[in-house]
Amino acid sequence: MSIELKDIRFSYGRVQALDGVDIKLEQGAVGLLGPNGAGKSTLLRILLGFLKPERGEGRVLGHDIRTEQALIRRRVGYMPENDCFIPGMDAVTFTSYFGELSGMPRQEAMKRAHDVLFYVGLGESRYRPLETYSSGMKQRLKLAQAIVHDPRLLFLDEPTSNLDPQGRKEILELILDISSKKDIQVLLSSHILSDIETICPFVVILNKGRVAAHGELQNLRETSFRLFELKVKGGPGPFLERVRALGCKVEATEDMILKIYMPPGLERAVIFRTAAEEGLQVREFLRSQTSLEDVFAKAVGVD
Amino acid sequence: MSAVIETSKLSKWYGNVLGLSDVTLSIEPGILGLLGPNGAGKSTFFKLLTGQLKPSIGTVTVFGEPVRNHHRVFSRIGLCPEQDALYEELSGWDFLANLLRLNGYGRAEIASRAERALATVELLDDKDRIVRGYSRGMRQRLKFAQAIAHDPEVVILDEPLSGLDPLGKRKLIRLIKDFGRQGRTVLVSSHVLPEIEALTSNIVLIHQGKILAWGDIHYIRDLIDAHPHIIAVRSTAARALAAHFVGEPYVHKVQFENSGDLVLFETTNRERFFDRLTRYAADAAAGVEEITSPDDNLQAVFDYLVGT
Amino acid sequence: MAIAERGYTHWDGELQERRRPWWPITRHGIRLAFKRKYFKFSFFISLMPAFGFLVGIYAAEKIQDFKVMIKGSPTLLTVDPGFFRAYFAGEFLLFMMLMIMVLAGAGLIADELRHNALQLYFARPLAKKDYFVGKAAILVFFLSLVTLAPGLLFILFKLIFSGSFRFLGDYPWLPLSVIGFSALVTAFFSLYTLMISSVSKNRRYTAIMLFTIYIFSDVLFGIFYGSFRSPYFALLSLKVNLQQVGAAFFRVKPPFPVPWAYSLAVLLAVCAAAAVVLHKRVKGVEVIK
Repeated sequence: MSIELKDIRFSYGRVQALDGVDIKLEQGAVGLLGPNGAGKSTLLRILLGFLKPERGEGRVLGHDIRTEQALIRRRVGYMPENDCFIPGMDAVTFTSYFGELSGMPRQEAMKRAHDVLFYVGLGESRYRPLETYSSGMKQRLKLAQAIVHDPRLLFLDEPTSNLDPQGRKEILELILDISSKKDIQVLLSSHILSDIETICPFVVILNKGRVAAHGELQNLRETSFRLFELKVKGGPGPFLERVRALGCKVEATEDMILKIYMPPGLERAVIFRTAAEEGLQVREFLRSQTSLEDVFAKAVGVD
Repeated sequence: MSAVIETSKLSKWYGNVLGLSDVTLSIEPGILGLLGPNGAGKSTFFKLLTGQLKPSIGTVTVFGEPVRNHHRVFSRIGLCPEQDALYEELSGWDFLANLLRLNGYGRAEIASRAERALATVELLDDKDRIVRGYSRGMRQRLKFAQAIAHDPEVVILDEPLSGLDPLGKRKLIRLIKDFGRQGRTVLVSSHVLPEIEALTSNIVLIHQGKILAWGDIHYIRDLIDAHPHIIAVRSTAARALAAHFVGEPYVHKVQFENSGDLVLFETTNRERFFDRLTRYAADAAAGVEEITSPDDNLQAVFDYLVGT
Repeated sequence: MAIAERGYTHWDGELQERRRPWWPITRHGIRLAFKRKYFKFSFFISLMPAFGFLVGIYAAEKIQDFKVMIKGSPTLLTVDPGFFRAYFAGEFLLFMMLMIMVLAGAGLIADELRHNALQLYFARPLAKKDYFVGKAAILVFFLSLVTLAPGLLFILFKLIFSGSFRFLGDYPWLPLSVIGFSALVTAFFSLYTLMISSVSKNRRYTAIMLFTIYIFSDVLFGIFYGSFRSPYFALLSLKVNLQQVGAAFFRVKPPFPVPWAYSLAVLLAVCAAAAVVLHKRVKGVEVIK
């Protein structure tokens, strides 16, 4: 169990930021979502050991969040959202410096810094001064300093913000690789739902200081076993008529997606057969599933 | 439909540094997505469109007239820039009202327009708070409000969704789509490709200052010959499915995924492939459960064109 | 025989708790300081007085024999507490110490505030006080090389060249004074510099502030003294306060007839203010917005 929180409460003066949060997280990448002001930053601060909750208790990596805050910070890696670096240093110095501050012996920190910089793709530019780095490189550097001390728990705060599509893809690949290691827990806080869908099998959705939804994304999405989405090539008119005649409910959306609700007892193959007979090609055929966006909207209670 | 924005051989250099080269486009009403890596020339393009820069070569006309120093044209364009260049000391309301004054509206009209714009982005409750106290999402919404407050026919949005939470994004996407339906011309640039896909399938890809591709992404995908299309088919009888296609000349690659029930096909001739597939799937014994095209999306198109 | 694993690999070492968790900060800070353009040069220049005084000690001993040849005896060549005071509270040395602070210290905290590096520090098991101690130690290092080290060397050289312990017998409190005053000057300048470095995000502004406040305090004193002639205005000038306390430590007549305890109080007040300002400016919890 890497993170365990029980009934955590915290307020800044009169503003109740967290109002009873219960979380249990094991392995696997977890996405942390929530509207602005939901309490994500406060939760991260408590997890990182900066704030003591007013009520409730918890353990991170086995350490108590009230009494063993420094120990937590030793074994946790944090990749902040905004740009951060130290002018005058190069990547190797920077990374090994923070490795040392985490408690690595000096030579080990240096060795590991080189390894980690190659891993994130900065191997060729690791001796260049940080002022010359592009935004994509700075992002990788942030990731490097977060993993240099081989943490068992990694917090990533909006890791792809300000990156162009190329950069986003590459960072996401790196994060996927790291999170595929079974003994590293990755906690990803992001507003970009497609990033979370790519990386996290689990999500925790916060709203107004509480956990609004949590669990495996697979389970949170409602998979309809009888509703299918299709895309066809060819005029769909007669095809849809026939499908309706078979007892299905049919709807055509504006993106040219056909939604077909099949009554029990009807086989999928019938749809294909009907399409073939009408001279259509079926180019896409999927069981309908709520998107993460819908899961989010439902959890937060909108619309 | 006649073009609202027309550029002809539009190019811009900053000294030696290339900004944009030989861009010829006809943009009609509706939503157009603009993408490209950093430094590709998007901001240069926007600045040329709004008359902030003078072209080195070529012309750009909006509503049939050149934009540069042309105040009447400029008041029909709205720009939501990427940078955070807001006046921190003013309240949201004052900021908006002052910008509207520049358009020459009278006091009553300013008040009603500002109120409408702020209501649209749901900032009406915070209108009297000063901008310095705004969160990132609120600033983004304020920028959007100032872009639409004067009811422009052309709206240019540079990374409009950054900083918003998923619900905010959803609302803004709906709003932008409404604008497109109303017949306005909307140019949207973003780095998050799935978000552009949610808005429109009409895109322009800029790379190293030139246009790499433009049009509907699905048609563009069709035109990219060098990369055969990937089609993923899930079936309870995967091997039989694969066998049914292995002999076909237009199928270049057949690959099984780890899960065992998913087959990836690569083909250059989707017509014949889907024809054959639809007829094959008509037989229940084939057990076809799912058909998808994993690379018929913007990210894949981007990768293929820009070259990973 | 095997092919090494690709992708992310674990580290098989152990994270230890250090006895001095701030040590990497100091080490890196010293290295970075030397990288700065004019720092090496200024540091070298600030060592010149020490060098000069060392030569003076040698000359003082050897020239005894030739004293008859010299009309009068320049005070510089008499090695007594006044000699020490002349070194430690000399205008040039104090100014050079300020220069070193500006070059090595103006950006110490300012740069990190500006580039958001603080959040990286405090996401580590590093206490706020360790951070300050680490930063201060950089400045203490350089300042000690210019105050404590030469001071002790002077004593040593004097003993060596005079060939006897008589010097120590005459002034047994001298080594303590050297240590004490070095500590005070070092602490004062370090805290002063760190305080100002934390006030702005811009290294240039802090550098200018460091200079200006120091020099302006002296100018202010000059103006008031010129108008009102009261020596108590000396308390306004940081430089003069240092000189007053210096004189007291070396049991020499202070430049102004103001009790040195007052000067000491002013200096300590600045140090206390620095502590307060630092604590406010570097808020560890502000790590995540």
